Amino acid sequence: MTSNLVVLPLIIPMLTAVVLLFIGQTSRFRRWLAGASSLALVAVAAGFVYATYQAPPLVLAAAGWLAPYGIVLVIDHLSAIMLTLGAITALAANLFSFAEMPVRRTHPLRSPLIQFLVTGINLSFITGDLFNLYVGFEVMLIASYALLTLEADDWDTKQAFPYLALNLFGSTLFLIAAGFAYGIFGSLNFAQIAANGAALSGDPRVALLGLLLLVVFGLKAGLFPLYYWLPNSYPILPGPVAALYAGMLTKVGVYVLLRIFGQVLPPDLTLVHQCLAWMAGVTMIAGVLGAVSRDFIRGILSFHILSQIGYMALAIGFFTEYAFAAAIFYIIHHIVVKASLFFVGSTTAIIHRSDDLAHTGGLWKAAPVLGVVFLLQALSLAGIPPLSGFWGKYMIIVEGLRLGHGVLVFLALVAGVLTLFSMLKIWMAVFWRDAGEDVEVHLDDRRWKPMTTIVAGMTLLSLVIGLGAEFTLKLATEAARQLTDRAGYIELMLGGSLAP
Amino acid sequence: MIWETALLIGLLFGIACFLILRASFVRILFGFMLLTHAANLLVLAMSGDPDGKESPVVLKSGAPLVDPLPQALVLTAIVIGFGVIGYLVILLYRVLLDQRTTNLRDLFDGERPRPEEEEG
Repeated sequence: MTSNLVVLPLIIPMLTAVVLLFIGQTSRFRRWLAGASSLALVAVAAGFVYATYQAPPLVLAAAGWLAPYGIVLVIDHLSAIMLTLGAITALAANLFSFAEMPVRRTHPLRSPLIQFLVTGINLSFITGDLFNLYVGFEVMLIASYALLTLEADDWDTKQAFPYLALNLFGSTLFLIAAGFAYGIFGSLNFAQIAANGAALSGDPRVALLGLLLLVVFGLKAGLFPLYYWLPNSYPILPGPVAALYAGMLTKVGVYVLLRIFGQVLPPDLTLVHQCLAWMAGVTMIAGVLGAVSRDFIRGILSFHILSQIGYMALAIGFFTEYAFAAAIFYIIHHIVVKASLFFVGSTTAIIHRSDDLAHTGGLWKAAPVLGVVFLLQALSLAGIPPLSGFWGKYMIIVEGLRLGHGVLVFLALVAGVLTLFSMLKIWMAVFWRDAGEDVEVHLDDRRWKPMTTIVAGMTLLSLVIGLGAEFTLKLATEAARQLTDRAGYIELMLGGSLAP
Repeated sequence: MIWETALLIGLLFGIACFLILRASFVRILFGFMLLTHAANLLVLAMSGDPDGKESPVVLKSGAPLVDPLPQALVLTAIVIGFGVIGYLVILLYRVLLDQRTTNLRDLFDGERPRPEEEEG
C-alpha cells in the first residue's frame, strides 16, 4: 500500500535537528522542542505498528519511481517495531539528558546530534534499497562519531580512534559489498535482489557476497572477533547517550542481518548461516567473560551488549521462521532492558561520583527504588522467568534443541549463568553491601530522583513486555511471518500493484 | 580494460591495508584514503567493461552506453568518504595535541603516564 506517511520517521528528527541547530544556544524552549519531537516519533512509530499488523507493508517510492528503478522506503511490521523501540529509547535518553544537566551546562550540540543519529537509525530501518542502507548507516555513524568525542575527557579521546577506524573499514567493505551485489544481481533493490537471487541458487559468488556481508554487519553488530571497537569506546560516552548507543546502534546491525539474510539474499546460504551461528556462540561466551573481568559498571554493561548480541545472531543463524520470531522477541526485550541498565549505571555514578565498583555501596538502603529497578532488569537480562529476557532465550534454546545444535545451546546456557554472576557482581558491590568509609554518597544531589523515575518507566515497559509475553509474541511472530514471506514481498514491490 | 582495473584495485587495496596496519598516524591516514579510493574504483568497475561503449551523458551513435548507476553511487560514496576522512584528520590531530604522540603503540600503552596538565 502506498503511503506518504512513511517519510515521517525521517522528516521528524531531521527537521528537529536543523531547527535545534539554528536556535543555537541551549534553552528551555529547545528542550521542549526536542522532547516533543521524540514523543511525536514514538506516537508515529506506534501507529505504524498498528497499521502493519496483519496488513501489507507501507511503501513510499521516492519521486514516484517505483521499484526496481527508484529508491523505495518500506515499513513492514519488523521495521515498525524497530522504529518504535528506537523512538522510545531516544525519548528516554532525551529526558534523562535533561535530568542529568541543567539547561545552561548542556553542550549545545548534543541534542541536535542525537536527532541526526535517530535519523540515520530510522533510515536504516525503513529503506528498501541496499545502497540507501549504506547511506543510512553512514548518517548514523557520522553522528555517532561526533557524539562520541563531543563531551569526552581529553585523555579518553583516543578511545574514539579504534571505533572510527574499525567502523570506517566496515563501511568501506559495505560499499564494496554493495558494488558486488549490483554486479551479481543487476540491482540494489531488496525485492529485485530477492527475485533475481532465485535463479542464482548455488552460485559461489553469492556465497562469497554473503560472507562479505556477514563480516560487514557482524562488525556493526559487534560479533566475535569483530567487536573490538565497542567495549572501550562506550564507557567514554555521557550517560544518556551511552544508553542510546547501547540500546540501538548494535541492534541496527542485528536488524540488518535479519533483513538481508532473512528476506533479501537467497535462503540456501547454509555455510554463511552456520558461520553466523558459530560466531554468535563464541560471542556469547567471549562477551560475558569480558564482562566478568571488568570492574566498573559501564564497562561490565558494555561487554554484556556483545554477549546478548550473540543470542540474537544465534537465532538468526538457526534460520527458521520460529527462530526469527525468537530473535525479534529478544531484540524487543534487549533494547529496553539494556538502555535502562545503562540509565541505572549513570544514576549510581551520579550518586557515588564514580562508577568504579571499589567506590560504591549501600544504595539498597539509600535508594531502594533504584535497587528494585536494577534487580528486575538484571534478572531479566539473565533470563529469569517470568521476566522479559526469559521468553526470548527459551524460544532460542527450544529451537536450537529441535534443530540438534547441542553445543550452541550449551554455550547459550553457560552464558546465561555467567550473565547472572556478573549482574550479581554489580548488585553486591553497588546495592547490597554497606558503604565503606571512602565511599561518597551524594543523596542531596537532586538529579537522581527524576533519573530514577525515567528508569522506573523503562522497567515498567520491560515488565509489560515480559508479563504480557503473549502479546509481544504475537507481534514478533507476525513480524517474522512478513519477513519470511518472500513471494508476497516481491509480488507487492514488483507486481505493479503500487502503480498510481 | 577490466583486467587493468582489477589489478589497480588489488594494488590499491594491498597498499591501503599495509599502511593501515602501521603504527604511525600519518600512514594510517593515507591508508584509509587509499582504501576509500579502492572501494570507489571497484564500485565504478561494476559498470562492466567500458571498451566500445559511449559515455552515458552524450547520446551520439547507436553504440551501447556505459551503465550510469555505479557512477551515481560512486558520487555519493566519494562525498561520504571525504567527510569521514576529514573527521579522521581532526580526530588524529586532537589525539596528537592531547597525548603528545603520533604512534599507536605509545597511545594504547597502559603504563604510559598522563602528560602533565599545562598551567593556565
